[in-house]
Amino acid sequence: MSISETYFPTEPSAPEIKTAIPGPVSKAKLEELSTVYDTKAAYFVTDYYNSIGNYICDADGNKLLDSYCQISSIALGYNNPELLKTAHSDEMAVALCNRPALACFPSTDYYDILKKGLLSVAPKGLDKVCTAHTGSDANEMAFKAALMFQANKKRGNKPFTEEELTSVMENQLPGTSDMVILSFEKAFHGRLFGSLSTTRSKAIHKLDIPAFDWPKAPFPALKYPLDQFEAENKAEEERCLKALEETIKNYPSKVAAVIVEPVQSEGGDNHASPAFFQGIREITKRLDVIMIIDEVQTGGGGSGKMWLHEHYDVVPDIMTFSKKMQNAGFFFSEAGLAGDQPFRQFNTWCGDPSKALIAKTIIEQIKEKDLLTNAKETGDYLYSKLEAISTKYSGKMLNLRGKGRGFFIAFDLPTTALRNQLLAECKVLGLNIGGCGDMGVRLRPALVFGKKHVDILASIVDEAFGKI
Amino acid sequence: MSYTSKCFPNEPAGPSVVTETIPGPKGKDAIKSLGEVFDNRCTYFVADYEKSQGNYIIDVDGNVLLDAYCQVASIALGYNNPNLIKAASSDKMIRAIVDRPALGNFPGADFEQLQKDLLKHAPKGQTLVWNGLSGADANELAFKAVFFNYQSKKRGFDKPFTTEEEETCMSNQAPGNPEIAILSFKRAFHGRLFASGSVTRSKPVHKMDMPSFQWPTADFPSYKYPLESNEEFNAEEDKRCLAIVEERFQNWKCPIAGVIVEPVQSEGGDNHASATFFQGLRDITLKYGAKLIIDEVQAGCGGTGIMWDHERYNITPPPDLVTFSKKMQSAGYWFHDPEFIPNIPYRQFNTWCGDPKGIIMAAAICDEIKDNNLLEPLRETGLYFYSQLEKLQSQYPQFITNLRGKGKACFLAFDMPSGSKRAEFIEKMKLAGINVGGCAEVGVRLRPGLIFEKKHVDIFISAMEKVLPTL
Repeated sequence: MSISETYFPTEPSAPEIKTAIPGPVSKAKLEELSTVYDTKAAYFVTDYYNSIGNYICDADGNKLLDSYCQISSIALGYNNPELLKTAHSDEMAVALCNRPALACFPSTDYYDILKKGLLSVAPKGLDKVCTAHTGSDANEMAFKAALMFQANKKRGNKPFTEEELTSVMENQLPGTSDMVILSFEKAFHGRLFGSLSTTRSKAIHKLDIPAFDWPKAPFPALKYPLDQFEAENKAEEERCLKALEETIKNYPSKVAAVIVEPVQSEGGDNHASPAFFQGIREITKRLDVIMIIDEVQTGGGGSGKMWLHEHYDVVPDIMTFSKKMQNAGFFFSEAGLAGDQPFRQFNTWCGDPSKALIAKTIIEQIKEKDLLTNAKETGDYLYSKLEAISTKYSGKMLNLRGKGRGFFIAFDLPTTALRNQLLAECKVLGLNIGGCGDMGVRLRPALVFGKKHVDILASIVDEAFGKI
Repeated sequence: MSYTSKCFPNEPAGPSVVTETIPGPKGKDAIKSLGEVFDNRCTYFVADYEKSQGNYIIDVDGNVLLDAYCQVASIALGYNNPNLIKAASSDKMIRAIVDRPALGNFPGADFEQLQKDLLKHAPKGQTLVWNGLSGADANELAFKAVFFNYQSKKRGFDKPFTTEEEETCMSNQAPGNPEIAILSFKRAFHGRLFASGSVTRSKPVHKMDMPSFQWPTADFPSYKYPLESNEEFNAEEDKRCLAIVEERFQNWKCPIAGVIVEPVQSEGGDNHASATFFQGLRDITLKYGAKLIIDEVQAGCGGTGIMWDHERYNITPPPDLVTFSKKMQSAGYWFHDPEFIPNIPYRQFNTWCGDPKGIIMAAAICDEIKDNNLLEPLRETGLYFYSQLEKLQSQYPQFITNLRGKGKACFLAFDMPSGSKRAEFIEKMKLAGINVGGCAEVGVRLRPGLIFEKKHVDIFISAMEKVLPTL
């Protein structure tokens, strides 16, 4: 029995499309919803009660195979019975009704929940965790950890000076900081003010919001297929690393940390080689800069490894997570990254035990059902199917990428308009699929996606390309 | 029978401290193991939430403490409230937990109802809500809403961006990323992320070493207490602070798009201000085309005896945005002008755009408050509490000063002579069976749940009577 059959005996065997998408019921509901909510970004209204496994059901009763999964944030499919068990548990009710201020009054079971859950999948070299609420929040807390660490180092582990204590209250130096966080072009790290200053994906993400004047470095634009452009791609990565090193060295103020996604996801599923990430690690170590890897979208098993950067043999100082884990936060190594004093990295909730419980269940299921192997093997199969389609539509399906990275696969179309057309055609044929960057299509199925789902996805994508 | 007795038949009759220190031996071990995986330096004690009941928090050593701090003012209806347990086990909650949606893209068929259930409890004058995940998140989302609105008004609401704006923002430069500011007040606390950290002015440890925006501050009134005998001074203080706000609008190096203010500055020391002050602030924001954000993260959701504390000031027209979190167990901002919804999608956006789990809890909590009319008895409890503290203040003037919060239910505070005396007081209160919190340098703030009753006040006061003579 396949994984999805074990979990979801009643999962549909194929998509069922009865109406346009959004259909009449969805449209009417969106209209009503728009009186109390901004619905301009809504694709359709979902019936979560009837969604199951890899299929998302909409308000019109259409059942779509879901390869987008709430922007890459559903790990175990809809209505997963193990998550239902956790949701029905007494532990969950206690967590929901008595949400603690975790740092001040942690619960008796928080140690266990972390130890058996998140920490059991801590990336190599990072054995501590700080919990947060969202990906943006996790990244900003990671920035704070890096900035406080660097400042403390500069201060020589001494107490704050009188001048620091007074100037900081006016947002002035030396109490505030002119240190910076460096990010890469096309990066996405969130949309709050610190994280947004490092986000460089699209203008619409950034316009009209005051930003810190922080530096950026180019991210490699690799040519595909990789095996035909080895020399060019190597030169491209070297160019970017050189620019990174020069920016760090020449920037007028200290670069406290570099943040990088193992695959730039919102920005277009831009990959780079292990050598590139090892290069960042070498430069940041040598220049005394904290390296933060942002696994918000890439983490949680979709790549065939728990954390995508584990494909690269690189150990950062901090790694952030959210989305599929349903809990956010960051792993770190150095004790100093927790802040040299208590109450510096602090807020009321410091996470949420109800989310940590869900994360624990997701992690237990990943292990029990060996979902990483599924992602790897099914992902390889998916890649081979798409490769065949890309040969068939060689002028339209471009830059297929993500080979050997499990489900974390993407391709481009020649224009944004064609890309959007393809996404729309796929929906009509029963596949929910997402875009990224200007012309990219990204695959972000749940970890319970099987070969039979790949076959359906491939045949829909093939048909959709035929129509555009 | 009171709500508390009805809901918590097994609530302890009083505190019980069974170890010589808090944390006791088990607590110390638990904190030590936790330290292997989680920063434990802020940990007061490890709590057993399964056993905690109503107004009592029970720790891992079996100490039973009357809780007047309530998870930094975030537990509204006591521990293990049976009606919230029901909400936590409801079908819609299970659904929310198991299939958490990206609400902006794929809202659930029941989402409209969830929004409406929440909107029933909007402050006066507010009709819409945008959801966030924490207080800091809510405030920063509110800032974004203000900045989008400010710039789009300048540009013309439906006008497209210029190429220059689109290009410059990719390098974090103006005009795409304009230099515009949010004004906040000295001693304010609005969160600890980068923009919220920039407007927070409570303590250096909240801000140190973080890059911050060069945004203006103004003085928040420092009243003399008791208010009745200091009316003239306090009225002058309002005027002085408002004049500073106005001066900032006239002279700050960049436009001020919004002002954020707490109805009671809580982390910053429980500093109160008058209706005149808040109305004055509203008038200045209108005069200069700026937006007024009221931060109800700590004061909101009933703690001051009315649902939203700023409503008592009858600010006219109502504030533009009101943020919430903590006791609501969800976060976000209330608003009423549809032009705070940006003209195109994906501007005010993120993966989750809130969490139905939080929204369901928030509505359940608010319904419970309303359906059981919890705020009326709370106001009475508060008056009683205040009068009892007033007695202690006259008895121990060397230890208790500036008792404040009269008429705001149990949202009370007083000052102690020094930070170290305050620390000693809080520690000894714990050993006397009371969990209570500090604020600012020398303040003690009372943040019990909304189910605190006279009998709990008596227990609290009698513990103080024991502790004060030993200071």
